[in-house]
Amino acid sequence: MERWRITAGHVPGPFGLVLVLAAVVLAIVEAARAYRKPVPGVSPRLRAALFALRCAGALALLAVALELSLSFETTSSAGPRLVVLVDDSASMGVADAESPGQKAMRRIDRVRELWRRSEPARAAWKEQGLAVQVRRFGEGSEPLTGETEATLDLAARQPASDLTRAFAELAAVDPAVDPRPLAGVIVVSDGLFDRADRGADDPLVLAGRELGVPITAVAAGAPHLVDLALTELRAGEFAFVENVVEFAADIEAHGLEGAKTEVVLRRDGQVVATEPFVAPASGQTTVRFEVAPDRVGQFVYEIEVRPVEGEASPHNNRRAFVVKVLRDKVRALHVAGRPDWDVRALRTLLGRDPNVELLSYYILRGADDADREDPFAPLSLIAFPTDELFKEQLGSFDLVILHNFDALNHQVGRYLPDIGRYVEEGGALVMIGGDMGLATGDYPAPALSAVVPVDLRVPTGLDTEAFRPTVTDAGRRHPITAWIDHSGLSNWTALPPLDSYNPAKLARHEAEIGSAVLLRHPEGGPLLTIAEPGRGRVLVLSTGASWRLGFHADLPIVDGARPYDLLWLGAIRWLLRDSAADRLTLETDRPTYLLGAPITLRAAALSPSYAPEAGVEIGWRVQPLGRAADDPGADPNAPVTILSQGTWTTDALGRASETLAGGLSVGAYEAVAQRAGGDEAAAAPQQARRVFLVQAAGRELTRLASGPGDERLKRLADATGGRFLRAADDDLPAAPPLAPDRQDRERVDSRRDIPVWSGGVAMVLLVVCLGGEVLVRRRIGLA
Amino acid sequence: MPRTRRSLLAGAAGLCAAAATRPLRAQEPGLFGPLGGDEFREPTAVLTVDLPQLQYPGKWNPRPGAMRELAVELRLRTRLEPVREPSVVTADSRRLFDTPFLYVAGEGNLPPLGAAAETALGRFLDLGGMIVFDAADGGADLGFEKDVTALLGRILPGAALTRVAADHVLYRSFYLVETPLGRTSTFDHVLGIHEEGRLKALLVRNDLGGALARGESGLFTWPCVPGGADQREWAFRFAVNILLYATCTDYKADRAHVETLLRNRRWR
Repeated sequence: MERWRITAGHVPGPFGLVLVLAAVVLAIVEAARAYRKPVPGVSPRLRAALFALRCAGALALLAVALELSLSFETTSSAGPRLVVLVDDSASMGVADAESPGQKAMRRIDRVRELWRRSEPARAAWKEQGLAVQVRRFGEGSEPLTGETEATLDLAARQPASDLTRAFAELAAVDPAVDPRPLAGVIVVSDGLFDRADRGADDPLVLAGRELGVPITAVAAGAPHLVDLALTELRAGEFAFVENVVEFAADIEAHGLEGAKTEVVLRRDGQVVATEPFVAPASGQTTVRFEVAPDRVGQFVYEIEVRPVEGEASPHNNRRAFVVKVLRDKVRALHVAGRPDWDVRALRTLLGRDPNVELLSYYILRGADDADREDPFAPLSLIAFPTDELFKEQLGSFDLVILHNFDALNHQVGRYLPDIGRYVEEGGALVMIGGDMGLATGDYPAPALSAVVPVDLRVPTGLDTEAFRPTVTDAGRRHPITAWIDHSGLSNWTALPPLDSYNPAKLARHEAEIGSAVLLRHPEGGPLLTIAEPGRGRVLVLSTGASWRLGFHADLPIVDGARPYDLLWLGAIRWLLRDSAADRLTLETDRPTYLLGAPITLRAAALSPSYAPEAGVEIGWRVQPLGRAADDPGADPNAPVTILSQGTWTTDALGRASETLAGGLSVGAYEAVAQRAGGDEAAAAPQQARRVFLVQAAGRELTRLASGPGDERLKRLADATGGRFLRAADDDLPAAPPLAPDRQDRERVDSRRDIPVWSGGVAMVLLVVCLGGEVLVRRRIGLA
Repeated sequence: MPRTRRSLLAGAAGLCAAAATRPLRAQEPGLFGPLGGDEFREPTAVLTVDLPQLQYPGKWNPRPGAMRELAVELRLRTRLEPVREPSVVTADSRRLFDTPFLYVAGEGNLPPLGAAAETALGRFLDLGGMIVFDAADGGADLGFEKDVTALLGRILPGAALTRVAADHVLYRSFYLVETPLGRTSTFDHVLGIHEEGRLKALLVRNDLGGALARGESGLFTWPCVPGGADQREWAFRFAVNILLYATCTDYKADRAHVETLLRNRRWR
């Protein structure tokens, strides 16, 4: 129906309004009195005309002052609203059956069949005046229209199922937008929702109650399911290298009793362990893997139960997770040619660290001492197992320390080339001076010399004059010695002097192995020199007096630590490639991303002396890790597809970054950054790597059995006064439970406003009426 | 004159070695020998280890020359290179911190050292030093032990001298020693303060210095009772162990050493 009304566009303040109304009323009252009072020579018709002019003028004044408009509205009665919420999540695409013999049917197809079958009921809803609104829900909800509404032709691919959110969206509908009162809700779903079922405190039930209307729940699932699903994963975020760590997976089996398959554990896409698996009749089995990661780094592990033919979904058969493998115990070999206070200090420091597995061999007596000794004296000395240490076990050490060690006197000369190769292949070597070793030229092997930044060809001798070292520019920045400058100690006056020095010279090839002198003797010779030959790291300390940095009358304590501790702990961290000491770093802002979320990569480059390195070209790429998670049949040996790549040039602070817009699908990925021109195979320090996962928001397909979903739906229906139905057995009710106290509302379908004050008509009317009255009054002598 | 003849032969051999060395030393760097090394290396300065003794008002040196004799024996028996004349330091001297080892001998009573000296000794221990107290009375008078206990109670509050167990690495740091003998054998154990994984202080009560000290005549000054020369040898061995422990700490407690010793049945 249509209706009209006058509306005011501008309502003046109370005083103004009273003034306008008073003026209008006075004008009309005065005109009425003049009309009623007979005037000689003025006919009643003329008086009536004057009165009419006054009234028209007053009304025109009113229209202009209040900006009056005419509003024409078309209205209709808004009946109560019945909302049908249809689950469109991926679990609705799973096929199940009423019994083992029956043909399985996808849940969404079962719902579609129900919808078709219930057409009479839907017609009845409209006849009852119910406004029916059909919405689908998954991660969010949205109304269905047209053909989709008529047939429920839904894809069932939503990665999550959040009915609580759908209820919240219904409750938030603005009555001004849709005044139809909500009278009832019908939920059609398998009941497998994202948010956890917490029984009596189930937030889903609480949200349903908040709507204040009966909710009829229609269960779409069927009791017989054929599926294997990895439902729970127990794995820590961290593991320790060479230490056994357990990864456990709960596997839920349905309808596959006795089926044989296997569960595999992959690291970065490569299978590292396999366990046979025989499916139980029904229920959950735990499969455990015990692995000892063989190297440090960040890895994507994945557990997969290989799909069995006929499974409802292969997508719930695997789960990936990121594990950061840390160094557990650093295995250090400390060989010293003679016990002294420097040996004592380093041994105490290393032995105190629970993360260091220290293997020490100190030469406690020489051949001449042995000659003098009573042959029957009970000694605790043991043979120096040179072959075992320097041949068989050398590769097992993370760190080798040759501490004032006269290698030639102890038949270690033949192993020096092995130590050189050990460094080339990634080992860490420390050479500490004193009166032997460097002083006596005990490391005369070219293969070892090639990896050491000081000249080993010439015995350095020993200078025992006390001196105060100088910190070089590189030393001020390098993680081993940066604390000296940061603590204001770089002039060394507050630090103890050192009283032994091996006047070594830098090797000719020192620049080729990336060496840097961090501390110098006052006369300019290198005191603390580092290098990065091949894949290893080397530190040469040309003194046997560093212990004095930990024992002195006026020893300064820096950040609660002795200078000796800071020096050596920094050295060990650098030697062992603690990630804080890498010269090229790559980070992702998170280890795991939700599907569609932006992914930020950040790189930082440092020079060999640990200054921020500007203008460095860094190539970067993002590629799937191993096989794609969504492609079970992919060849693991196929060439890796690079999904995104580019080149950075570091800024003045040595930084570069990239944000990927989130176009990666669910799976595991590897981001790699490499200095331009770096040899990826041989120069590992020039490359940095990070792995990350892209995951769907929920765990939609984790558990697929319909039983728990049915129970939850039933509880929801019971809690809200609705009914619980099964899609396979029941039709939608022609008279669904509705809220009893609902009231119809009037709904404005259309509205048209015609302003009467604008456009000049009112103004002309005002002028004509009031002016005409004045003119007429003058002519007849009433003015 | 066999002695003179041997000296001549030794001198001739030394000259030959020196003559043979010179041409090799003149070679350019980089020409390594068959082992890759230079077998004719010139001796360099040696990093020596001091064995300082604390001087204090009172009987601070009841066994003169004990440390010097220990230094000689250490040089002869081990690779340690002690100084020939161990130094003497006072507790308030900055030289106290020249070496993280301190020998404190005494007889009768240990007089109060003063607050400054005690503070310095406390810092000495905190920074990693080790003090060996040696009671020269050999068990006849417990005055020194009582005063040492009181001193340590003041400089290491909360710590107490306790018996060093027979399986402590101190008893196998070089020799396998069963009893810490000295000039006397009154006690079958030593006392120590074990903190932060190390022995900070050690109290020897069998007059270790008395067994070591040798007079100007070259003869040992005090007889060892009741064991005589054997007991003295065991006292030297224990003293050597103390210094090897001081320089290597618990090196001989490393798994590799323990396993080897047990395998060879050389240690119970």
